[in-house]
Amino acid sequence: MMFKKVLIANRGEIAVRVIRSCREMGIQTVAVFSEADRNSLHVMLADEAYHIGPAPSVDSYLRIDKIIDVAKKSGADAVHPGYGFLSEKADFARALKKAGIVFIGPTAENIEAMGDKLASRELMKEAGVPTVPGSPGSIRDADEAVKASNKIGFPVIIKASAGGGGKGIRVVHDPKDLPSAFRACQSEGKNYFGDDRVFIERFIQNPKHIEVQVFGDTHGNVIHLFERECSVQRRHQKLIEEAPSISVPEKVRQQLGAVAVKAAQSISYIGAGTIEFIFDNNTKEFFFMEMNTRLQVEHPVTEMITGVDLVREQIQVAQGEKLSITQDEIQKNGHSIELRICAEDPITFIPSPGKIRLCRIPQGSFVRMDSYAYPGYEIPIHYDPMIGKLIAWGKNREECVARLQRALAEFMLTGVKSNIVLHKNILNHKKFLDGSYTTQFIDQEIADRDQQELFMFVDEKVFLISAAITAFKDNQSRDIPQYNTFSRWKNLARRDGLRR
Amino acid sequence: MLFEAEVNGKNYEVKVNEARQHWKVSIKEEDADWVNYEISKEDYQSLDNTISFIFENSSYLVDAVGSGTEYTVYTRGAYREVKIFNDEMLLHESLKSGSAMGDSDSLTSGMPGKIVEVFVKDGEEVTKDQPLIIMEAMKMENEMRASADGKVKSVNVKPGDNVESGQTLINFEQ
Repeated sequence: MMFKKVLIANRGEIAVRVIRSCREMGIQTVAVFSEADRNSLHVMLADEAYHIGPAPSVDSYLRIDKIIDVAKKSGADAVHPGYGFLSEKADFARALKKAGIVFIGPTAENIEAMGDKLASRELMKEAGVPTVPGSPGSIRDADEAVKASNKIGFPVIIKASAGGGGKGIRVVHDPKDLPSAFRACQSEGKNYFGDDRVFIERFIQNPKHIEVQVFGDTHGNVIHLFERECSVQRRHQKLIEEAPSISVPEKVRQQLGAVAVKAAQSISYIGAGTIEFIFDNNTKEFFFMEMNTRLQVEHPVTEMITGVDLVREQIQVAQGEKLSITQDEIQKNGHSIELRICAEDPITFIPSPGKIRLCRIPQGSFVRMDSYAYPGYEIPIHYDPMIGKLIAWGKNREECVARLQRALAEFMLTGVKSNIVLHKNILNHKKFLDGSYTTQFIDQEIADRDQQELFMFVDEKVFLISAAITAFKDNQSRDIPQYNTFSRWKNLARRDGLRR
Repeated sequence: MLFEAEVNGKNYEVKVNEARQHWKVSIKEEDADWVNYEISKEDYQSLDNTISFIFENSSYLVDAVGSGTEYTVYTRGAYREVKIFNDEMLLHESLKSGSAMGDSDSLTSGMPGKIVEVFVKDGEEVTKDQPLIIMEAMKMENEMRASADGKVKSVNVKPGDNVESGQTLINFEQ
């Protein structure tokens, strides 16, 4: 069936992103919005827009009943959930099905299979997908610990099962340190947490976040669209993503793709999904972490290197069509990097909602901005501080980085704090440039920088002089006659006084 | 015009003077000497709601957002909060915060001063922006106006009275 109208059960840049592909496909779009989002860009861009409740998302964007009501009222054939909100709620997929509306995403069963992290890891293990090597159960004594560790491979991390806050955790690099570390963990576990059960796992020294984009259709086809690296993270949230990863050798890339396809096939996955792996940059091994059963924030970098519009593909698959490309037809071309632009303090990462004054978005060759920001828009406090994503393509990584640096230099966003300046710093950092960065990068290399260092692109005096001249002008244009309209003499004397 | 300023924890004195062709800005950091900058108006222009500022041959697009005595200056993805004020601005700010009638039903003085003239009497109807009182503070006479239509309940001061900061000058009917 061909959709005539699609409801987008989301807001922000992803709602705008989905509207764009719908419009290109000749599909009408229905926006839903909370009280705080009347002025949001997706409401203005969609063909229809329906108010669905107060600002808190539990009362609006998470209300399955209201969204289904609007879908029925507007006559939408399908609902695109975007990411976040209801995108990975099996109940939502089921409720839509019951209402005779297509959910543009995986099946409710797919979502449930991957919804529980621990259960999904066991499921993947059974399907032959590598997981972080570890002891199958708790280890009783030092001898057993040595045996298990030799099998797992050093370095290992010993964890008291109840451990936390740095207690009951030991990393062991040298086998001869193992017995004492094991006993220490066991006794810490017992003393601090009243539980002496201890587990052993492989310790990943230089961990990178590598994920693979997969796509399945209702005809049993599953393909992958190469990997993305998302190791630049703050507070466990991604900040920069790129495709392909500079750290993945070609041979490992083939394995990654094959394993990801196998993982998706094992649950008969339908639609866009992402298999996340932890990648050991020393050994180049990768281990399954979890699967995200939705379109990812960072999907544009995959689009840029493969030329596939992932949202269009999602819609076509939901319409029951076969994937428009086969595995053999997918070529990766060049390099793409995405920077998440957030209205937040670049040092503390505290969100900075408020009114955008100026917003000059970078343009020029091979630069893409997926955003919902515009001048005068008031960023609400209720939702994510990410206002958009700056994406660039280059025929190689160096060209891509240079293009992004250029784009950042053009970016003008005022009225709210933003992490633009943080991105400038990261894009100048040796470890980012040589690709050796890991998930610890922000904490170890960036987080303790102060403003002075972060703002190195500006001569400090520029701030002061600009403020002074502006204050001077404001002072002069202030309605002075308001104070003393009665006597011209007083007025003159007063002006004279001010001139001194 | 002389300002005191505070940026990034440091205090400055700043002199700004406007000439026909340029801005003269002098900056004195605590314990340091005055440094003078002559900035051609060609190099400091308002364009498209922003300021295009060429400073020592570096080109900046600047947005300076001010509310009273506090400005946030944005440029090149960076920003600074700049506190900048002189006596007159402080006075203006305090009067602005003191004379609001919207929420409260009274007119209060924003700072210590002396009443020079009173234009209204008990029971009088006033309209928005009507002059109510002239008060002298920090060697300047300042007119306080009604911020909304209303009726005067009582005038609590007379010319010549010294008033304290926060003192109620006029009560209005609810």
